[in-house]
Amino acid sequence: MRRKMLSIIAMLILFSVLAACTTPTQAPAPTQAPAAVQPTQPPAAGGCKDSDRVPISWSTIAGFYTDAMTSIIKDFESKNCVKVTIVGIDNAQLYDKQIIEAVGKTGAYDVYNIETAEKAGFAENGYILPMDDYIKANADKVQYDDIAPILADVTTKYKGKTWGLPYYTYTQGQFYRADLFEDATEMAAFKTKFGYDLKPPTTWDQMKDVAQFFTRKKGEMLKGKPLDKDFYGIGLMAGRFQEIQDELSGMILSKGTDWLKDDGTIAVKDDGNLWALKFYVEKLLPYAPPAALTVTYDGVMNQMQDCQIAMTANFFLDQWPNAANTEKKCPGAKMAIGVGIEKTTYIGAFLMGVSSSSKHPKEAMDFVAYMGGKEAQTKFASLGGSTTRISVLKDPQFNTPESRTKTAQFAFLLQVFDNMKTKKSNLFYSPYGAKLYNAMGPIYHTAAAKEKTPEQALQTLYDEFVKICGGPKCAVNK
Amino acid sequence: METAAIKNPGPVQARRTMSDTWYSILLIAPAMIIILFFALVPLFYAIDVSFRQADLTMGGIQGFVGLRNYRTVLHEPYFWQSVGTTVVFTFFAIVIEMGLGIFVAFLIHGATVGKGLIRSLVILPLATAPSVTGLFWRYLYDTQFGLYNYFLSVLGLPWQPNWLGDIKLGLWSVIIFDVWLWMPFVALIVLAGLQSLPKEPFEAAELDGASNFRVLRTLTFPMLTPVLMLVFVLRTIDCLRLYDSVATLTRGGPGSVTETVTYFLYRQGLVFFRMDYASTMALLFMYAVILASGYALRPLLARLAMRAGQR
Repeated sequence: MRRKMLSIIAMLILFSVLAACTTPTQAPAPTQAPAAVQPTQPPAAGGCKDSDRVPISWSTIAGFYTDAMTSIIKDFESKNCVKVTIVGIDNAQLYDKQIIEAVGKTGAYDVYNIETAEKAGFAENGYILPMDDYIKANADKVQYDDIAPILADVTTKYKGKTWGLPYYTYTQGQFYRADLFEDATEMAAFKTKFGYDLKPPTTWDQMKDVAQFFTRKKGEMLKGKPLDKDFYGIGLMAGRFQEIQDELSGMILSKGTDWLKDDGTIAVKDDGNLWALKFYVEKLLPYAPPAALTVTYDGVMNQMQDCQIAMTANFFLDQWPNAANTEKKCPGAKMAIGVGIEKTTYIGAFLMGVSSSSKHPKEAMDFVAYMGGKEAQTKFASLGGSTTRISVLKDPQFNTPESRTKTAQFAFLLQVFDNMKTKKSNLFYSPYGAKLYNAMGPIYHTAAAKEKTPEQALQTLYDEFVKICGGPKCAVNK
Repeated sequence: METAAIKNPGPVQARRTMSDTWYSILLIAPAMIIILFFALVPLFYAIDVSFRQADLTMGGIQGFVGLRNYRTVLHEPYFWQSVGTTVVFTFFAIVIEMGLGIFVAFLIHGATVGKGLIRSLVILPLATAPSVTGLFWRYLYDTQFGLYNYFLSVLGLPWQPNWLGDIKLGLWSVIIFDVWLWMPFVALIVLAGLQSLPKEPFEAAELDGASNFRVLRTLTFPMLTPVLMLVFVLRTIDCLRLYDSVATLTRGGPGSVTETVTYFLYRQGLVFFRMDYASTMALLFMYAVILASGYALRPLLARLAMRAGQR
């Protein structure tokens, strides 16, 4: 009996402790996102007490993109009675997490970080608010026309409305080892073998020749010296990630085709798409390191820095600081940038969009306008960020020899935006864009891994598109 | 006296029995509430969703569609491909883990010195999360910087396998990782079983001059069967649910050769947000696992029931 009494008392204590732990002292908090990065508390802006600050949160990619933003956010907070919480989320989970919060209308995030292909879906479903009225009312502050026009179009426009501002572009160009292309021995050998001068490739056929030319086994000579490991002509992002699609997009667009036609008809099996995948698998991949099948962009940068590859295919220009680091890590390397093969590449940027569930949309829009504005973008660029604003890209302070290792890509971004001004994929204007984009990576990869032929892979992709869009046409709303 | 009291419970004893019943209910109630809330509510919710149209990015959870989701899933070739991958993985992983685990358990059981240290070392892989060790192994498998290929080259072997990029090797790379991770679990459970076996039958067999093989065949393994069955079922269920190793090592690649049911389900649910298909697949998968484990555990349960009856 005594034991029973003791047991019951113990259970009562346990229940009390549990109840105390679970009883909320405040209203339940919205779903907590992982890895919240706490902003540093700035001194209160003129007359604004910390307790008066309006709290807003920004879900974004953890890592450099966020780290560089922390000091800029401090500036924003010093000028506005707002407290910003950056919620850093791993890139692979960012879309999932944001969608779940958006569908649940939790209001956990006031500002979303949206990929180009995801914009139309967010807008179509009402997850984000249009910012046209705000931009119109704050034209001087926002300076929307200063954003590279093609970038502004693909990243912010849907159904004639503007859905936020881009703050970080990952538009593609190309990186290559200029020292290899300038070496007299290599130039002579290339001319003998291919009958034309060695130079950074500008066409896909040239790229194939150069990739083949520089692929060598350990012990063979490169720049007159024996190689201590295998060397490859090209680095590719052929792993089971989305980036294989980004890599193929320039090839597809360069053939004048797209994944979706203007009327939404699915075009993934057409000649241009087939050519791109076949060329990628059969003509380029054999000259890439075996690890190409398991890596994405960071893997390619590691290969570059490890003196394993001569060049990239079309590649994210925001990675220039990493590419330039090759000069420190790989003796004799001299890095250079290209505007993309056949002047056609992937265009994209992270869009900052205000959640329709935000409790403070005005402050959230102020924040978006500030982060996408010239002042913040200039500071972002000085920290190595890849800005979206023409005036910042053209700013002389970022085109000096001293800033070369951080911002040499700026001049090339301007050229890329100009080259691409009339080429925009319909994918970015389909509300199914994110799903189609997510479907492409793994399926293209099956062809790269030789599990399927390019024809089979494209048939699979077509079937998947039909399944996602509910028929042979996907909605496209420009 | 006490026996008589049990045979003829008086009014006081009857009240006490009632009290014991409520006391038992009270004791299990918290656990039952938690189980009901965290297991059954999501289960019934999943059942409900499996009969509805539920695309989170296109209108959310909508109307009743009958068996349409079940038809769609059962006609989905990639679902069946992932089922095939899961079955192949489970078969080879279990065979190797059980074989090696039993072997290692016998080795440790027979060890005369350092048994405690060996046990501690064996348990190390289990001490960390598969997602963490998976990332670690991803680097070990790397063709450029990986230790495995480095050792192969140090040994002078020309073979430099693309562990995670070759469609012929991808699944085996995941199996090797799983064996490294879970073989110690099998070994430890079997070791515990071996150490709990009664000594008398073995002493008698030794006196009778029975060979080692005969002792193994007629005494050790039959007596270990309940433990082996239990560990077999636990490992099988765990292998069928394989997700974290795939997510960290291969993401379902190369190609789609390591895309298991759970990884495919994850992609349907949290990449494409088709909660209807994901729920349907999860339920079909759950029914299959329950049936398989029930079938596998039947002899063990029958034996336990028989023992209970004998008492």
